[in-house]
Amino acid sequence: MFGYYLDLALRSLKRTPILAGLMMLAIALGIGASVTMLAVLHNLSGNPLPGRSDVLFHPQVDPRPADLPGATEEPLDDLTYVDAVNLYQLGIAPRRAVMSSNWLPVRKDAPDSPLAMFTDRATTADFFAMFGVPFLYGSAWSAQDDANHAQLVVLSRAMNQKLFGGENSVGKILVIATKTFRVAGVIDDWNPQPRFYDINDGPFADAEQMYLPFFTWLDLPQDYGYGPMRCWGNDPNAGTHDPKAKQCTWAQFWVQLDTPAQVADYRAALTQYSAQQHQLGRYQREPNVRLHSLLDWLDVKHVIPVTVRMQTWIAFGVLLICMVNTVGLMVAKFLRKSGEIGVRRALGASRRAVFLQCLVEAGVVGVAGGLLGLPLAWLGLWMVRQQPVSFAASAHFDPSMLGIALALAVLSALAAGVWPALRASRVAPALQVKSL
Amino acid sequence: MRILFQIRPILAALRSHKTAVLLLVLEIALTMAVLGNLVFIVYGTMQRSHTPTGVAESQIGVIQSIGVIGQDNPGTAAGNIAVLRAVPGVMEAAYGGPPLWYAGANPIFLDPARKQAAAQAYEFQGSQGLVSTLGLRVIRGQLLQQDQLPVAAKITDSTEFPVLVTQALAAHLFPSGGALGHLIYDGGSNPMRIVGIVDHLRGGITGRTNDDYSIVAEYLVGAQNLGGGFMIRVKDPAQLPRVLRAAAAALQKANPGHVQSKLFTMAELRANYFKSDLAAGRMLVAIIFILLVVTALGVSGLASFWVQQRRRQIGMRRALGATRGDILHYFQMENLLIVSGGVLLGALFAYALNLFLMHRFELAHLPSHYLVVGALALWLLGQLAVLGPALRAAAVPPVVATRSV
Repeated sequence: MFGYYLDLALRSLKRTPILAGLMMLAIALGIGASVTMLAVLHNLSGNPLPGRSDVLFHPQVDPRPADLPGATEEPLDDLTYVDAVNLYQLGIAPRRAVMSSNWLPVRKDAPDSPLAMFTDRATTADFFAMFGVPFLYGSAWSAQDDANHAQLVVLSRAMNQKLFGGENSVGKILVIATKTFRVAGVIDDWNPQPRFYDINDGPFADAEQMYLPFFTWLDLPQDYGYGPMRCWGNDPNAGTHDPKAKQCTWAQFWVQLDTPAQVADYRAALTQYSAQQHQLGRYQREPNVRLHSLLDWLDVKHVIPVTVRMQTWIAFGVLLICMVNTVGLMVAKFLRKSGEIGVRRALGASRRAVFLQCLVEAGVVGVAGGLLGLPLAWLGLWMVRQQPVSFAASAHFDPSMLGIALALAVLSALAAGVWPALRASRVAPALQVKSL
Repeated sequence: MRILFQIRPILAALRSHKTAVLLLVLEIALTMAVLGNLVFIVYGTMQRSHTPTGVAESQIGVIQSIGVIGQDNPGTAAGNIAVLRAVPGVMEAAYGGPPLWYAGANPIFLDPARKQAAAQAYEFQGSQGLVSTLGLRVIRGQLLQQDQLPVAAKITDSTEFPVLVTQALAAHLFPSGGALGHLIYDGGSNPMRIVGIVDHLRGGITGRTNDDYSIVAEYLVGAQNLGGGFMIRVKDPAQLPRVLRAAAAALQKANPGHVQSKLFTMAELRANYFKSDLAAGRMLVAIIFILLVVTALGVSGLASFWVQQRRRQIGMRRALGATRGDILHYFQMENLLIVSGGVLLGALFAYALNLFLMHRFELAHLPSHYLVVGALALWLLGQLAVLGPALRAAAVPPVVATRSV
C-alpha cells in the first residue's frame, strides 16, 4: 500500500511542480537555518576532551569573608595562592594540576635574537598526562622537576615553528623573563574548545604558546600579571602585583578521579580541609565546596555565548514560520485534488486511506526539503566559519547532524501535513463527484 | 475609488476560505514578530558600532611597551613622553590607555567608608598630558593643572587626586548639580576631587547607561621606568599609521629593555572591539533575508492557487464587464486586507517576543516605530508577491466563463 501511495504522491507533486517546489523550498530554507544554528550550538556545547571528561573534576573552596557585600552562594572559580598550594599538596587524587597563565618576554639564547612576548601556562607535571596532551618531541617534566623548581619549558608546535623552524628543539635554551630555560618537549597541535581548564578569558580562548613548571614560574622576576587575578574587599586591585595576597584568587586547579569512591573521598577531603581552615581562622565561612565534573562545570558556567543561544531560538522561529507556510500550501494542494479524492472515496477508499495517502505526500515533501536543506546548512556553516568570532572555527558539519537534519525535515513536513490531510480526508465524495 | 466598493465582496469571498486566510494571517504575524525584533537587534548593533567614545579617535595611536624585569633600561617615563613628542607629526603624547582597551567599570563611592557604591565607572589614569592626548573637551570647571598634579614618585595612600568626570557621571552622582569640588572614592585609598566636567568619555560601548560614566586622573611621571600603554595624538589623521610606526621605533630605541607587543590605531581598536557583534549582526541579516523569501513564497503560492481555483468566476466577472484592472485590483486589495490582519496580530506577537527576549537576553524595549516600518515592509512584500498571480488572473479571458471545467 505504501508503494502505491508513494507513486500517487510523486504523480501528484509532478502535476503541480511550482506548488511542490515552493513547499520543498520553504522546508529546505527552514531546515537550512535551524540546522546551521543547531550545529553551531552542538559543537559549542560539545565535549572538549572526549573519553577523559568523565574523570576530570574541578574542586572549589570558599575563602571569602563572611560579610562580603554582593557575594553569591557559589564559591569563586579560582583558588588563592595558599589554597592552591595546600590542595596541590593534598595529594589524594591520582593526578592533579595547579595552573595559571600570563605572558612573558622570550628570546633565543643567541646574540641579537629579538625579544617577543609569548603567552604561557604555568602548571604542574600531571597536566599533560591528565588532559592527554600529545607530544611531538621530548616529553613533559616530572613531579620531581616541579619540586626542584627546574627551569624547563614545553613549547607548542606553533611556537616551536616560530622560534626553531619546526625542528626537534629538545635541549635548546630559551631566555624567558631573563632566566634560562631548557626545552623539555614540544607538543602537537592541542587546543580543546571550550578551553575548559581556564575560562577566565572567555570559554573559547586559545591554548597558550608554552608551558612552564608552576613553582619555577612563581620564582620568575615578575610582574607580567598573574592570570585572571580577582580580589575581594575594598580594593579590587589590592593584590594585582602580589600573587600571595590573601584576598586574591588566580590559580586554576583540576584533579583526576577515576572511580565514584574516589570522587566521594575527594569531596569529603575538601570539606574536611575547609573545616580545618575554618578552625584555624583562615576561613570565615562554614565549608562551602564544589566538585564539578568537566561537563557539569561547562554547564554551570554557561559557556555557550548568549548570541548563539538567541540565534538558535530565532532559527527555530524561522522553521516554525516555514512550517506554517507549508501548512498553507498543503491545504491548497490537497483541496485542489478534492475531485480526485472524491472519486477515490466513492470507489471505496476509507478516510484513513485518504489521510495516509496525503501524509505520504507530505513526507515526500519533507524528504525532498531536507535533502535540499542539507547543502543550505552546509553553506550556512561555511558562512559562520567566515565570521571573525571566537567560536567560528568550531562550526563544522558533524555526520550526526545529517541524520538530525533529515529527521527534522520529515518531522516538520509531517507535522505540517497532518491537518491539511485530515481536512482532505473529510471531503464529501458525493459533492465532488457531482461537480465533475 | 471603485476599489473600495470591492472590499465587501472580498471579505465575503475570504469567509469561504477561512483556513487558508487564517494560515496566511498567522504566517505574516509570525514573520512580523520575528522580523521586527531582528531588525531592532541588528540596528542596535550598527548604531552602537558608530557611537563615539568622546576621544579624538582618528588621531590616536597606541604603543604597548612592556618592561622586561631585570633587564637594564635607560629610558624613563618622562623621557619616553619627550621622545614621543619629538617625533615629527606628533602633537601630544602620554602614558596611559585609551577607551575600549581592557575596559572594565569599577565601583565608585561618595563616602570615604565605601559602604554603598553610587555608580560603576570607567577610570582612566595616566601621565601628564593624558587629557590633551585623548582630546577631551572640558565643558565646566577647569583642565587638570600641571602644578597641581600629584607627583608619581611621592604618591601615598592619602594623596588627593584632582579628576575630571563625564557630564553623565556628574549628573548621576549629584542629581541636584554642583559636582565640582566634591570628593569621590574608588576601591583604592586615594580621595579624588572633581575639578572639571568633560562632555563624553565612553570606556566601553555596550549599550548600558554607565558606558559614559568615566573618571580621568593624571599624575606627574619622572624618572620611573614605566611599561604599558603609551599614546600619541597626531595632527593629521591621514599620517597616523606612518607616524605611529616612527614613534614606536623611537620609543624602542630609547628603551632597549622593553618589548613592544602591540601597536594599533584607535580605528583598529574599534574595529576589533565590534567585530564579533557585527558578525552576529550579519548572521541575523541572513536570517531576515530567508524569512522574507519564505513569506513571499507562501503568499504567492497561495495566491496562485486561488487564482487557479477561481478561473471560472474571474471569466464570469470579465464577461459581465469587469476590466483587467478590476481583476488585478481585486487580488491586490485582497492581499492588502490579509496582510493588514497579519500585521495587526503581528504587532501583538512582536511585543510578546520582545518581552521574552528582554527577559532572557537583556534586550531593550522594542520602540513602536519598528512596528510601523515592519508593517510597511510586509505590505510591500505582500504586494510584490501577489503581483504575478494577480497579473495572471487579469489575463484570464472572459470566454473561460462559457467553458465547463
